[in-house]
Amino acid sequence: MDTPIQFVVAPGSPEPIYRQLVEQLRRRVAAGQWVAGQELPSVRELALALAVNPMTVSKAYGLLEAEGLLQRRRGLSMVIAPGHRKPLATRERMDQLRPTLVRAAAEARQLGIPPEQVLQLLQRLLERPETGDPT
Amino acid sequence: MNLSLPWWRTPRRAADRTLSLHAQTAAAAEEPADDMAAAPTVRVHGLSLAYGRTPVLQNLDWRLQPGQVVGLLGRNGAGKTSLLECLLGLRDAQAGEVQLFGQSSMTLDDSARARIGYVPQQSDLFEDLTASQLLAYFRSFYPRWNTGKVDSLLSRWEVPTGTPIGRLSGGQQQRLSIIRALAHDPDLLVLDEPVASLDPLVRRDFLRELVGQVLDRGTTVVFSTHILSDLERVAFNVAFLQTGRIALQAPLDALLEEVVLATGSESALAAFAAASAPAQVLSRQAGRWLLRGADRSAAPAGVLVQPAGLEDLFEALT
Repeated sequence: MDTPIQFVVAPGSPEPIYRQLVEQLRRRVAAGQWVAGQELPSVRELALALAVNPMTVSKAYGLLEAEGLLQRRRGLSMVIAPGHRKPLATRERMDQLRPTLVRAAAEARQLGIPPEQVLQLLQRLLERPETGDPT
Repeated sequence: MNLSLPWWRTPRRAADRTLSLHAQTAAAAEEPADDMAAAPTVRVHGLSLAYGRTPVLQNLDWRLQPGQVVGLLGRNGAGKTSLLECLLGLRDAQAGEVQLFGQSSMTLDDSARARIGYVPQQSDLFEDLTASQLLAYFRSFYPRWNTGKVDSLLSRWEVPTGTPIGRLSGGQQQRLSIIRALAHDPDLLVLDEPVASLDPLVRRDFLRELVGQVLDRGTTVVFSTHILSDLERVAFNVAFLQTGRIALQAPLDALLEEVVLATGSESALAAFAAASAPAQVLSRQAGRWLLRGADRSAAPAGVLVQPAGLEDLFEALT
């Protein structure tokens, strides 16, 4: 069964909202959770649901269409483009995660935090995404 | 008929501004239609305002294009309310000019006024009237009035319609003030801290209403708020008011992507700024510089480069 297409946005993040939408869709498609032919909410529906500027949604959809992840159908609705059916190989998904980890690693080095403590924190964050606090 | 449209309760300092509707429409009709369509919704030129010896606005220029949603940011006392009041012709500036829909804001005709919705920071509703009476009163002035929207908002936002407005809570009055501003489907919405006393659920619903307005009518919106998360959702552009001028106006997306916060020793930061020329240094605090367009890979050892959030921008640019 397809995973329903739902987006979340986090204002206050240094990542602009349109980029948050783009990255969420990329990840869901890479994981094989959102698959070819699944219909996306219209710009109007998503802008109203998230209470965000419609231009922000259009911008995200436009980029994803240019990237080949979305396809515009007749009647202007957007679907996940053909060919995206299965999860990408773990290695390719790792490649998508890499830039985030590269940045985290650089910041950890700059902050002078010992590697084992960084890894411990990552481990805890994977288990308890909200805070990373030990159980 | 010599009656000006009361889209706010008492036109402050608005002496002798009631021009005949007929004379104005006749004058407007002579303008070529193309020019009207191409004109910015709001054009501010050289606006200067001082209270006594304290300058508030200093030779301020500003433009809002049709359909733009612009968040106005500035510290307390920076002059946001004064600027918005000048914009609407509610306050006389010492110098400069404001045009709304191509007309001077000091001599707006009724047809232009009918296209504007305004939510002032201080609720200024008639306290002795009930919400129903107030809305019926305003309705008589507007050629367009969206009864369906008014009724739906009154019930969704739980505004008592039979109680004198003076006895409503601050939040209820604010909700009513917003409903009044949206009721005539305005083409320009000016919102001065519209959500200050709204609870989070009504705030979200209000933002949705704003988004719907933009979707359905291409409304131009300018609003000031201290709630940065709301602004980030709804404003595509942000304008920073600093020392009496619009220090910067840009799409928020671009700013978040182009601006970095660099921390380190002053000499290392200076070296970084030099190496990433022509990057623009937006602010320098001790050991904390905000740069726009810097090349992250040019950061020397000892300089920590992080993405900047809207709060960092607010701190640096207001």
